[in-house]
Amino acid sequence: MTVLEIEHVAIGYSSTLIVDDLSVAIPKGQISTIIGPNGCGKSTLLKAVARVLRTQDGAVYLDGKAIHQLKTKEVAKRMAILPQTATAPGGLTVFELVSYGRFPHQTGFGTLRKEDYEYIHWAIDVTGLREFSDRPIEALSGGQRQRVWIAMALAQGTDILILDEPTTYLDLAHQLDILLLLQKLNKEEGRTIVMVLHDLNHASRFSQFMIAMRDGQLVVNGNPDEVMTKENLQKVFNIDATMALCPYSNNPICLSYQLYENAE
Amino acid sequence: MNNNSFLTASQQKARKKNFFILSILVVFIVITFVISMNTGVIKLTPMEVIRTLFGFGDAQQQLILYEFRLPRIIIAVLVGMGLATSGAILQGISKNALADPGILGINAGAGLAVMLFISFFPATTAAPVYLLPVLAFVGAGLTAIVIYTLSYKRHEGITPMRLLLTGIAVAAGISSAMIVLTLRLSPENYQFVATWLAGSIWGSNWKFVLSLLPWLLILFPFVYAKSRVLNILNLGDLTAVGLGASIEKERRWLLAASVGLAGASVSVSGGIGFVGLIAPHLARQLVGAKHQFLLPASALVGGLLVLLADTIGRSILEPSEIPAGIVVAVLGAPYFLYLLARVKE
Repeated sequence: MTVLEIEHVAIGYSSTLIVDDLSVAIPKGQISTIIGPNGCGKSTLLKAVARVLRTQDGAVYLDGKAIHQLKTKEVAKRMAILPQTATAPGGLTVFELVSYGRFPHQTGFGTLRKEDYEYIHWAIDVTGLREFSDRPIEALSGGQRQRVWIAMALAQGTDILILDEPTTYLDLAHQLDILLLLQKLNKEEGRTIVMVLHDLNHASRFSQFMIAMRDGQLVVNGNPDEVMTKENLQKVFNIDATMALCPYSNNPICLSYQLYENAE
Repeated sequence: MNNNSFLTASQQKARKKNFFILSILVVFIVITFVISMNTGVIKLTPMEVIRTLFGFGDAQQQLILYEFRLPRIIIAVLVGMGLATSGAILQGISKNALADPGILGINAGAGLAVMLFISFFPATTAAPVYLLPVLAFVGAGLTAIVIYTLSYKRHEGITPMRLLLTGIAVAAGISSAMIVLTLRLSPENYQFVATWLAGSIWGSNWKFVLSLLPWLLILFPFVYAKSRVLNILNLGDLTAVGLGASIEKERRWLLAASVGLAGASVSVSGGIGFVGLIAPHLARQLVGAKHQFLLPASALVGGLLVLLADTIGRSILEPSEIPAGIVVAVLGAPYFLYLLARVKE
């Protein structure tokens, strides 16, 4: 079943098109990952799905309705977004930032209700931040900070989570830590997760659906077995990859790689 | 059911602390108020002030307090509150801690309007005084509109960074226009404009209180109702949209409120600059980044700051006065250097 339908979208800044005539359907209740080289339009596509950028052509549909025509608050109740570089204003505590996730559900002056507190406390617990909840965010480590932003997105209480490179700037263990958390949310609660990842092997290991892009266009999409092939990696990244199988997920991974002689 | 029961003990403590800080600020304003009432060429003891306030003073004491000092004190507090709130809004929507109403060209626009009026109608005597705040307000508003239009781009709308840069450029342009205009001015008029620009609270009269108060009464509740929106605008565009805020629309309204507050304030006080920058900074140190507390704390700090500055300015070189804007700058600059030094570490 499809939850987000991207149909013939063209997206760009001012006059340059970054994504051109791209169509892809994001399956419901799965982890989908977008991969591709730098500047291929991954983040731009995600921004259009997040309705931060307007599509110049085509449209993004959420459950069959054009996302730009829906009320932004209604979309925010269905879909949470974690941007690539999120910074919190100084002095804000973990609890305060996570509580902002309740914004789309609040009305009027917006005192937090019982239900809001339940969501906030649940999000703090599930991300393992209980002991830090009263600390200012700037006092936390990079991995903890990333968890705080995920907690805020979780407090939003949406069934779709969109994340732009959630593991960037984290060390190996903390990267895995975040991805395992996302996997747990997907498996145990059936949340749809759409993210951009730079690490191909993480992408293959943790997602059921992969979208490979190059130069603003879709190269291939499907399950990791279909996408993670030597031929596709050549087409997408222009690399000569040696493939292997991931001992944890049994999905294909790229063991090592070489640039082609004629690489640009 | 009491929502506070969901908060941990330390969160309840933090809330209590913030309410306590707000009350302390109110107490400080009241103390400065009483001191300011005693300040002036004609000395009144605190007892005489209190007696007069309750209606037992003689005619001269009543005249001094009710017609001269009280309106001026009230204007000082209101102007401080308006400018500080305006600055807090701008810092919130631009995510830039250096944004203040001056950067948006509001002071410069108001100043230019006042200067144009004085240089083209130099002979007019008593009447124009009441026209000046109107003119200053129009000047401030027009400048804001020009800056907004110049920084607007199709498909992208207004980005805070472009808004600030355009603001700085336009303010610089207006300042140079003002320098050219000073050549036309007679020394007396120049004197008046210079004092105006330095931010002397010159409109110390009940009429000016009445011209300022409605703006604050309308705009303060509006801005406070937007506390939550300001909180999430502060997280950046992407996050704010993701949380369901219509950022373009919200930003436009908040910007308009900010211009309204600063324009109204500057029109009766003259170009007091530093308050909108420094008061929200101080307030953030005191109560943190949540606008539910930050906005009232900024307003109170701003009111206190301008009242204090005006009181000092009136008493330090008696019987002549130093404009409140200059005193604020003298008080504010060291604090700002201290902030910079701390950031370096």
